[in-house]
Amino acid sequence: MNQNRNINEKLISKVSEIFGQVSLVVGYCRGNSPLKVSPCLIDEKKDISNLIFNKLCINNLATYAYKLSKKVEGNIGMVLKPCDSKAIIQLCAEGLIEREKFRMITVGCSGIIDYKKILKEIGRQRIISLDIGKDNIEVETIDGKKSLSTKNFYAEKCYWCDISDNPLESDVFIENDDKLEVEKKDKYADIKDLENLSIEEIYSYWQEELGRCIRCYACRNVCPMEVCQDQCIVHLDYPNWESQMATAEENKFFQMIRVMHLAGRCVECGECERVCPQNISIFKLMKKMNQVIDELFGFSAGIDISQKTPLLTYKTIEENIEEEKLT
Amino acid sequence: MEKENKVKEMEKEEDVKIIAFLCNWCSYAGADAAGTARLRQPENIRIIRVPCSGRINPLFILKAFSSGADGVLVSGCHPNDCHYTDGNFYARRRLEALKEYLPFIGIDKRRFSYQWVSASEGQKWQSVVVNFVKRIKSIGKNEPK
Repeated sequence: MNQNRNINEKLISKVSEIFGQVSLVVGYCRGNSPLKVSPCLIDEKKDISNLIFNKLCINNLATYAYKLSKKVEGNIGMVLKPCDSKAIIQLCAEGLIEREKFRMITVGCSGIIDYKKILKEIGRQRIISLDIGKDNIEVETIDGKKSLSTKNFYAEKCYWCDISDNPLESDVFIENDDKLEVEKKDKYADIKDLENLSIEEIYSYWQEELGRCIRCYACRNVCPMEVCQDQCIVHLDYPNWESQMATAEENKFFQMIRVMHLAGRCVECGECERVCPQNISIFKLMKKMNQVIDELFGFSAGIDISQKTPLLTYKTIEENIEEEKLT
Repeated sequence: MEKENKVKEMEKEEDVKIIAFLCNWCSYAGADAAGTARLRQPENIRIIRVPCSGRINPLFILKAFSSGADGVLVSGCHPNDCHYTDGNFYARRRLEALKEYLPFIGIDKRRFSYQWVSASEGQKWQSVVVNFVKRIKSIGKNEPK
């Protein structure tokens, strides 16, 4: 926990330093459970001491970027993990927000703990205290204490992360003495498993998964790249893209709208899957589209601020596209 | 003569539904030319005319599949011949990405195809349609199992 205090102090002092240049800081503060942190907006100097940063800061605060950029006059400071900064880069690359308006306060990341995994392990019990160490997580619930191995409880995206220590773009970088030490996993392992099945099996897999969807639209609302929420075609009466029925087929089509909208734009923060109340593995759908875009056009979103999304541009001769002849 | 026999054979088989999106300037005129030249084509194709292949949102195709189409065919001007200069280049990227994606949601990749047919290629249009219908028939209907 010493490490944590250290990084918190660094964060607070850096934010106080730049507070004159920004009128609002978006960061993390203590949540209502030991398991969670809560996003907070800070517009007064006295509140800066509430800021924290630890291994539970899983939320992607870049989600607020687009909406705040329309509402707030003056600059906005944002506490970001290196992976979250990809979302800001992509938004800037598409011209949806202005780079000058944002002060990116990037904190070096030592891996993020997925609280959903802990809840799965201990069941839905009231948690009294939680201490995350380098090797073990000590959880105290009303039933007693339990010790969990830290390395199994990182968020999925941490297992293939290679930018934890190296923000692609930042104004203020706060180095973390803790480093991310995890066994690397293949990003597309779960996709490959699914693709080994036959077409019919894949179809029924999604039918079952998306049949559980209650269409709360949380996945859409949390996405940092889906800036179109207020004009979403799902809510149109004419043309009627989608009925209000929550059948598997309709839910699948809703996810397809998201996939096609995020083609070549998804920054793989995994927020859609985290907020899903039904635990549907929607992130697979997004990852697959990214894999396709990467194979066809060699592009990953959120890396380069000057690069254009591949579907918004073209080449007269495409090297990787083999057109099918039907004659 | 051979082609005509093929067509007759197909008509006996099960009725599959195919939605075709054709661009106004090349492929729609091409299909029209095929009709004027009285080239026989299978009747499984329902044509939707769009201003340009660049107008085709990949969601059109997915919507067609989710509403029960057995196959979707997209056809536009040849690359470099687009009436709007570059519409079909954008379309090519989108449609290729969609095509690679389809198997992942449980739709056979062969049910979807995009082709370039110009206004004078009535013959080509006929063979595209014949081959595509044949292919869809060999896969069968797109029914949930």
